[in-house]
Amino acid sequence: MMSSKNKSKISRLRFFSLLLAAVFLLIGVSSALAEGGDPPPEEPKTPESSPLHPTFPLLDENGENVLDTGNPVSTMNTCGACHDAEFIETHSYHANAGLDDMVPAGETPTERAWDTSPGFFGTWNPIAYRYLSPAGDERADLTTPEWIMLFGSRHPGGGPAVYSQSGEMLTELAYSANSLESNIVNAETGELEKWDWEKSGVVKMNCFLCHIPEPNNDARKAALTNGDFKWANTATLLGTGIVEEAGDEFTWNEAAFTQEKELVQEFVAIQDPEDPNCGVCHGLVHDNVEDPLVMDGCSPERWTTITTGQIISSQRLSDSGMNLADKETLSRTWDAHAERQLECTDCHYALNNPLYYQEGSATRPEHLIFDPRRLEVGEYLEKPLHQFARGDSAQSMVSPNVKDTMRTCVDCHSTESTHDWLPYKDRHINALSCESCHIPKLYSSANEQYDWTVIDINGNAQTQCRGAEGDPGVNTLLTGYEPVLLPRENADGSTKLVPHNLITTWFWVYGEDERPVPLRDLKLVYLENDSYAPDILAAFDANADGMLDDSELLIDSEEKSALIIKGLEALGLDNPRIAGEIQPYSIHHDVATSEWATNDCQTCHSQNTRLTQEIELSGYSPIGAKADFVPGSNVVFDGEIYENEDGALFYKPAPDKENLYILGADKVNWIDAFGLWAFIGVILGVGLHGGLRIYAHYKNPPHETKTKRVYMYSVYERFWHWLQTAAIVILLITGMIIHNPDSYILFKFSGVVITHNVVATILAVNAAFSLFYHLASGEIKQYIPEPKGFFNQILTQGTYYMKGIFKGEEHPTEKDPEHKLNPLQQVTYDMILNVLLPLQGITGILIWGAQRFPNLTNALGGLPFLAPFHTLIAWLFASFIVMHVYLTTTGHTPLAGIASMIHGWDDVEVHNHDAE
Amino acid sequence: MRNKKRVWIIGIIVTLAVILIPTIYFLPKENKRSDDPWENLPLHPVHTDHTAIIEDRGPFETGPDVTRVCLECHENSASEMMATAHWTWESKPYDIEGRDEPVTVGKKNQMNNFCIGIQSNWSGCTSCHAGYGWDSADYDFSNEQNVDCLACHDTTGTYVKSTSGLPAEGVDLLDVAKNVGIPSRENCGSCHFKGGGGNAVKHGDLDETLYYPPDRVDVHMGKHDFLCTDCHKTEAHLVSGRSISVSLDTENQIACTDCHSEELHEDERINVHLDSVACQTCHIPEAATRDATKMYWDWSTAGNDSIEESTHEYLKIKGSFVYESDFVPEYRWYNGTADRYLIGDTMNPEEVTSMNLPLGDINDTTARIFPFKVHRGKQPYDTVYNYFLQPKTVGEGGFWTEFDWDLALRLGSEEIDMAYSGEYDFAETEMFWPTTHMVASADQALTCGYCHGDESRMDWEALGYYGDPIDWGGRFSAKR
Repeated sequence: MMSSKNKSKISRLRFFSLLLAAVFLLIGVSSALAEGGDPPPEEPKTPESSPLHPTFPLLDENGENVLDTGNPVSTMNTCGACHDAEFIETHSYHANAGLDDMVPAGETPTERAWDTSPGFFGTWNPIAYRYLSPAGDERADLTTPEWIMLFGSRHPGGGPAVYSQSGEMLTELAYSANSLESNIVNAETGELEKWDWEKSGVVKMNCFLCHIPEPNNDARKAALTNGDFKWANTATLLGTGIVEEAGDEFTWNEAAFTQEKELVQEFVAIQDPEDPNCGVCHGLVHDNVEDPLVMDGCSPERWTTITTGQIISSQRLSDSGMNLADKETLSRTWDAHAERQLECTDCHYALNNPLYYQEGSATRPEHLIFDPRRLEVGEYLEKPLHQFARGDSAQSMVSPNVKDTMRTCVDCHSTESTHDWLPYKDRHINALSCESCHIPKLYSSANEQYDWTVIDINGNAQTQCRGAEGDPGVNTLLTGYEPVLLPRENADGSTKLVPHNLITTWFWVYGEDERPVPLRDLKLVYLENDSYAPDILAAFDANADGMLDDSELLIDSEEKSALIIKGLEALGLDNPRIAGEIQPYSIHHDVATSEWATNDCQTCHSQNTRLTQEIELSGYSPIGAKADFVPGSNVVFDGEIYENEDGALFYKPAPDKENLYILGADKVNWIDAFGLWAFIGVILGVGLHGGLRIYAHYKNPPHETKTKRVYMYSVYERFWHWLQTAAIVILLITGMIIHNPDSYILFKFSGVVITHNVVATILAVNAAFSLFYHLASGEIKQYIPEPKGFFNQILTQGTYYMKGIFKGEEHPTEKDPEHKLNPLQQVTYDMILNVLLPLQGITGILIWGAQRFPNLTNALGGLPFLAPFHTLIAWLFASFIVMHVYLTTTGHTPLAGIASMIHGWDDVEVHNHDAE
Repeated sequence: MRNKKRVWIIGIIVTLAVILIPTIYFLPKENKRSDDPWENLPLHPVHTDHTAIIEDRGPFETGPDVTRVCLECHENSASEMMATAHWTWESKPYDIEGRDEPVTVGKKNQMNNFCIGIQSNWSGCTSCHAGYGWDSADYDFSNEQNVDCLACHDTTGTYVKSTSGLPAEGVDLLDVAKNVGIPSRENCGSCHFKGGGGNAVKHGDLDETLYYPPDRVDVHMGKHDFLCTDCHKTEAHLVSGRSISVSLDTENQIACTDCHSEELHEDERINVHLDSVACQTCHIPEAATRDATKMYWDWSTAGNDSIEESTHEYLKIKGSFVYESDFVPEYRWYNGTADRYLIGDTMNPEEVTSMNLPLGDINDTTARIFPFKVHRGKQPYDTVYNYFLQPKTVGEGGFWTEFDWDLALRLGSEEIDMAYSGEYDFAETEMFWPTTHMVASADQALTCGYCHGDESRMDWEALGYYGDPIDWGGRFSAKR
């Protein structure tokens, strides 16, 4: 309803509201002190402030005005007075966070033994490490109240912050001494102790967090951490002038309310969620083009941004305040969509928003392009779905039914006019997500590895960052990183390569039902009185300086490992061992416009293809530990994890397993080896034969043969022959370049491909015309061997080449216009024309057809089969040409054959039996 | 044999043609690079060394002595020069809507809101006149010998002009004359960078940083090492270019598109802006990026001894100033022409009077949104006749020596035959200076967010839009 234009108005409004609050206070004070005084200053007019949202009273949990009761505000009662708050709460995966999809521990798609839901409440976040303990766990890490205290600041309330896993209100939960919902873990003893839900209250879904400018998440977080759950939503309003904090108490500011105890219009700043609202939880949003954007490398408070390094900003990289490598050349903006003033909600809209909603093609009748029947705005405002359109990101598993509901790139962008330069456009678009080329690089840093097998003295993991050089802080040089391209199975059934970051986590697990070792226990093992325990220091401190630096703080020896295992076992943890997992994070933001996108063919079509570019997983592995990909994501991992000589782990994708054969990058080695040897073999063979012939020529000069001049080849025959020659030679050369573009950097890959295709078409047309000519003229019979004595003739011809030719004997087969080919040639040409040429043509057309008719191509083996096959036949053609050219020299003079094919006249031998 | 050769050649040609023609036809078309801007640059022929030619003709006592020698060979130069505004300081007569007779405008006969006007102050102002000796209303504009060749053709950097445009004392005229050449940045800059009486004062986009500008300040004169005359192409001494302080038409105007293609942006979205947005709007994101320029001049405080003097804030002879650097220009519709306040026009002292309001609005399809430095100030007017007054500032009885407004206004009015009631006050004026020089390198051009969205520097409603056209549609959009 509200749009971007109103943002500035709102900030103006905020200013005025503060001013107004101050003015009211002043009036209040001065009128209390003295009667009369100055007339009140004219009320600032801000008619454009949130113009359509009416003013309203703030109600508490019981529906009474907060001014009367001093109680915390209840969003469900306040906003719920007009909007269907219950509908909103029950239709929001943000609020529900997986609560409705809880399963017994270990039965989620991730297959982690301690995960209990596909959502934020119940799926382990290895970066944060702490986890919601499954019901029944004796050694609990987080109970429900503790989860709210720790993770509540990343959750908008509602769902698990209001209801128990069995669906009752948490405040009405019957107490049970060993329930992980009604107790918390005593930090000292590790024992469960009762949590007073009545006192803490619950966290209702927080409308303000997304619907007012600059919600105060810090104050909200403080209230949550203190266990003041019921005040958390009120705390969000701190700074708006509506509520104030005095000591530990929140007091409602009467100046912000009218006599009717409704908010003064100027304080009503209700708005559509703006990017910074989303950014509160989802990462760095910077919506000001002029103020330099600042973020140090892998800044931990940016916990979502550093999973990928995506920064939503309309600013040019070169104008930012960040220490980027080659910064002055980076005139692109962080995010092309932010640059063009798109907002998060333009793509991630409420699914029943009548402005944006469009029925997906799966359910839409085919005759309709656009269904104009929509919700009335009023109906929408009453029941706005808080299920927001989303994509297919690998890291997000909650609410799978709304996966892939958002508009994708091609729903707004046409590739028709813009990608004409790209050969095989459809093939590229079917195999690659737009992001593969349009997010070639993330210019900021991202996390690479969390090692929770060790902790620093603050209880944090040893971490590694990619795309940053030097010590963390403002001096870090941000070099950025190129994301790895991984095949991802999207909800629409397509599998495409999508850029990803991979984050590896190492951690201790224990027990038969595997659980991460609780942080509390890790601290007990590692730390003593806020510093490392003496035995830890003794084992880890290699340079004995009393501190553990990054090179020391890792489990790189059996001794260190044994020491920690011993410590953990002493705490009663059974069979502690190190586990590792790798989580993919899909990257869809920070899109670049064409100028900055990958558009050089050889980025992918070359030996160092971008498509198999590896990514570092972890600078080291703790001793004896293996890391594997978290199951259940939609990313296909069929590449290879390998360790380099320094012990760093890498992942190299293998797109060829995804039915992708990348011309110029992929090769089948045995085919090239076989082809090359066949080619060399033929050259050696003809070389030997030719050498012997020369030798024989001098030793046994051939007898003088009588020749007569015959018009052997018609103009058309000669034309089609030479056209075919030129076409085949060009095809072989261009094919060679396509097969191995690195060796021919002079040529532009796309130009060579087009040339290859056009010339292949010419060859095919030429062959077709020629076939017609041969059929129509009857010349076809030249190629048809005479059955009678055929094998004998072949034998004779073969024997001639093996023997007679050296003795200067005359040709066994007489050549004349009616018999241009000897039987051996007939066989060879029939093989070539009937077998090799059609096969080469068909495979070529199918390779070309990967773009036009992918189904047929795939049914016949797909590119991984067809392309190497095409290569093999090309090698055979090359070998044939050598043989063919050589055999033309076996006429009565070496060049006679070629000459006759040029001017048509041949001097053919006049055989004795003819003369008789 | 000849036959055979012909078969060879024809065969090869036909065969290759069959292959090459379709191949070339199907090859991907490279995006054709837009027209090469370099093609439009004038060539600068090597200038003839005048040392030997001039050597024996000196020494020279006066400027006109030099001019006479120049004219011996360059016979037409003086008459060419005398037809241009550099000499006349006045435009040709224009018919203007609402005025009975054609009018001329220029420094010679009109006012601005800096030093107000040259009339009655000639000797002080005409040090920048490309002529010698203009010190009164009676100056002979037909005397060829008074044309100052050296102002534009000196290459030594030692030629300095003084009061009434005469060479300053100590200038070695022979040496200067021997070293004449094509006009350099220094020749143009010595006057144009100092408009308003000092470096950077007047324009906001012309100042001494342009002698050696970094790429970020001026991509043409920095990175590409342009001369002024590369864009201000000059034929027969007529320098191209128009400014709305002097000219009321667009004849002989310079445009970016003289060299650059209209559709050179790769991004179609940017190209569609060009119907409504001037190149300068995005490519000159800030004006006066290095040297501060005068934004405000209040004459009414002049003559006050109790205010402390400070070159950029207050001078007793001139009044109070505000200087700004690196400021965001103001954006107006502009079709290349402007209105002009003419001496004697009545004004409303309650309102701000525009000395040269740019013409054009959202409905004028020839107008574009264009950046301006707007110089505002207060200057004296006659409270009885309600018109602005021309004070005498320089010379005997002038304000700068006597600090007597009444006297200065009386003397000034006498010089231009205007009635002065003896009652004066100060009224607000504004004057527009198109921001068109100091084009920054392309990587600094404005991006969307500077004009669209929350941080917009455009006042869309003032420009005639319903709101930000990114939402409300542009002026050619069906949404309007």
